[in-house]
Amino acid sequence: MKKKLLSIALAVAMVMSALTGCGNTADQKAKPKEEKEETTAESEESEPGAEGENAETEEAAATTAAELDLSKQVEIVMYYLGTEPAGQQVIWDQLNEILLDRLNCTLKVNFISFADYPNKYPLLFSSGEEFDIAYTASFLNYSSLALKGAFMELDELWPMYAPKNYALASETAKKQAKIGGVTYCIPSLNRTYSAYGPIYRKDLVEPYGFTKEIENFEDVEEYLDIIKENYPEMQPLSIYSMGSDVDDCFMYYNGMYPIKGSQNDFFWIDPTEENPQIITYYEYEKTPEFLEMMNRWNEKGFYPKSALSDTDSKKFNNGIAPMLMHNVDNYVSSAVNNPEWDVHYANFATDISNLSFTQDAMVISNTSKNPERALALWDLLTTDEEVFDLFYYGIEGTSYELNEKDEITMIDTDNYSTSSMWAVRNSEYLKNSVGTPDHYGELKDEWNAYIKEDQGAQKYRSFVVDTTAVETEYSACLNTHQQYWWPLELGYTDSEEGLKEYQSMMEAAGIEKVREELQRQLDEYVAGLQ
Amino acid sequence: MRVHFQNFRKELKKNKALFLMALPAVLIVLVFSYLPMSGLVLAFKEYRYNKGVFGSDWNGLANFRFLFSSGVGWKITQNTIFYNLINLVTSQGLAIIIAVIISEIKVIPYKKITQSVIFFPYFISWVIVGTFVYNIFNYETGLLNTIITGLGGEKINVYSIPWVWPIIICIFNSWKWCGYNSVVYIAAVTGVDAECYEAAEIDGANIFQRIRYITLPGIRATVITMLLLNVGRILRGDFEMFYQIVGNNGQLFDATDVIDTYVFRSLTTSANLGMTAAATFYQSVLCFIIIMTVNGIVKKIDKDYALF
Repeated sequence: MKKKLLSIALAVAMVMSALTGCGNTADQKAKPKEEKEETTAESEESEPGAEGENAETEEAAATTAAELDLSKQVEIVMYYLGTEPAGQQVIWDQLNEILLDRLNCTLKVNFISFADYPNKYPLLFSSGEEFDIAYTASFLNYSSLALKGAFMELDELWPMYAPKNYALASETAKKQAKIGGVTYCIPSLNRTYSAYGPIYRKDLVEPYGFTKEIENFEDVEEYLDIIKENYPEMQPLSIYSMGSDVDDCFMYYNGMYPIKGSQNDFFWIDPTEENPQIITYYEYEKTPEFLEMMNRWNEKGFYPKSALSDTDSKKFNNGIAPMLMHNVDNYVSSAVNNPEWDVHYANFATDISNLSFTQDAMVISNTSKNPERALALWDLLTTDEEVFDLFYYGIEGTSYELNEKDEITMIDTDNYSTSSMWAVRNSEYLKNSVGTPDHYGELKDEWNAYIKEDQGAQKYRSFVVDTTAVETEYSACLNTHQQYWWPLELGYTDSEEGLKEYQSMMEAAGIEKVREELQRQLDEYVAGLQ
Repeated sequence: MRVHFQNFRKELKKNKALFLMALPAVLIVLVFSYLPMSGLVLAFKEYRYNKGVFGSDWNGLANFRFLFSSGVGWKITQNTIFYNLINLVTSQGLAIIIAVIISEIKVIPYKKITQSVIFFPYFISWVIVGTFVYNIFNYETGLLNTIITGLGGEKINVYSIPWVWPIIICIFNSWKWCGYNSVVYIAAVTGVDAECYEAAEIDGANIFQRIRYITLPGIRATVITMLLLNVGRILRGDFEMFYQIVGNNGQLFDATDVIDTYVFRSLTTSANLGMTAAATFYQSVLCFIIIMTVNGIVKKIDKDYALF
């Protein structure tokens, strides 16, 4: 009897899976047919509905506009991280009016909150939901998702349907957008910098005779000492459960470049070498010196001894900690929001470079039914200042105000905010906030003068790591790194023994295999440059 | 087979109404418990978004390697079983004690208040509990260290002593769950025949004797069923509890990492659905083996108490 029951159950399960399987193949069969339809539609003459387009667009995109069929009104669905501001609907309405007029489409934006993205974002692509545009970034596993086929390939579509955006994107950006020779995303048109270093309040230390600008780690320590002594209720350095940025700062300070191009990496190269060799923390000669420093800082109580279980990520903004190690954008917003604090900044990334343009990027989902229209929409958002301002800042007088220097103030922040679709940003159109320190402009000029495409860290910015072949080992390494390096870098564990343990655990996790693979890719990249 | 089928048809005809009533429940189980099982094939596949669950290529046991290649697999399996065992024993044990005590309280308002107070922690989410824990045990401003220094002692850095964490986690788990678990036992105790107590009282049994010889044997079946049900989840760590209480504190991972937290940490950084499915598959298979064994043992001892 039991056996029979089991066989019935199995049969049911098989029928079920066969049914769902069928649904899937039906989908796949449906695809080529649609594509055919699309191509026939493309070859047709553009319908009179496109008349609303202004002359400028037509001129610039003369070669392609004719190919885009605007006859059918469609809704473009966009996903990005953030929470919808309460008053956003007014802005959507106004935007949709323009979009209907220009592209005969409307935009529907869905938000994924910052608390949910680790779970919800990957599901977006596995659920098979039909949508068109999504925000992506390295912290959202852009390259791994791309390699697993979540996004549409854009090599042909991008220049054809978003020609102005394509023309504005730099060669570096186009190179960065490619993984294994295929373009999967449209990088942002915003130039950002790898600057990293202490953001600190000067108002607190000036009464105690600290008037100089911070330039190195000795200065940092001196600053933190003064805070510790005179403000016992404060936590001098902001550190919380996501680990510390001090190790990254230290490596940048010594001119090292993380091969992933972002924080919290454990593979580094020295960009000044001709054929750089990938090294990791326990091989770097200055690591013991760094760990010694961190042990000292921990003993002095510059940050809580249980910081890794502390989830308060806003200690600097709340006034709990007067110093934070972070990027230049954070410096500018802190200075704008707290003018009375006299916020200063020191860039510790000595070999400065432009962050990858794929840091913020846009992808077309492989479930999109209207990729052409979605790209045309993207072209409009990123290269038409009027539309950009509306999408990114909102409506003048309602959500923002401009002063005579063309600097911006966001008003009614309960109902409006700047968009968190960061990929849309175009350096040309971004406005400085009222209160942006002059220092920022000086720094940017200095950096622009320093950066040369074929020198230093900038040379390696287009190198995109592909970990598919060593995924198992790489996952294990990431895990081990977090488990052993994070407490070590904060000086919670003994610096010598801890480093040895970290090394042996990383080796057990398979770091050598990962390194071998990545070194091979890097050598190939270097060879390709010459 | 044929005979069985005919019997089944006869049965169907005879009890039409009963079968109809069972249908929704059967459907729900099929849709939510059996249908998703087909997703387990992902554990043996190299998942690609554009190919879907069934269209992706097979890749054998490669997905399972990530659990075991670095030797972490055994460690986290041990931890998971260890935590579930102590949590099972403490929270169920406490729940039984609470049920017995509450049912002995005769003043109704007092009884209700006690029960509500014990039940209350169930409604507090682990996120909040995580904040409690941090504010009790953190080194600088924690309640514990404030008390210790107030009494003239040396501060203790609890977050660097892994062995105390099983105790802390166990205490908080019991605190949160015992009220909720006790509800079932209270119902069971109420179901014990009141005449037995009266008879025992007349015979001169004191309160402890009554509990020992009437209440406890009376709820034995419930206890065993609850144990069996919980044993079935023994490989599933209560993810939220561990994640909120321990956070990203690497120093404590050796003592507190369970399968669920390890998988979460690895896969939020690399998002590989195949590996996640492999971990789930591994948990499910082990759970299946454990529940079959335990049920088998129970069946050997007393057939009436077994689940199936």
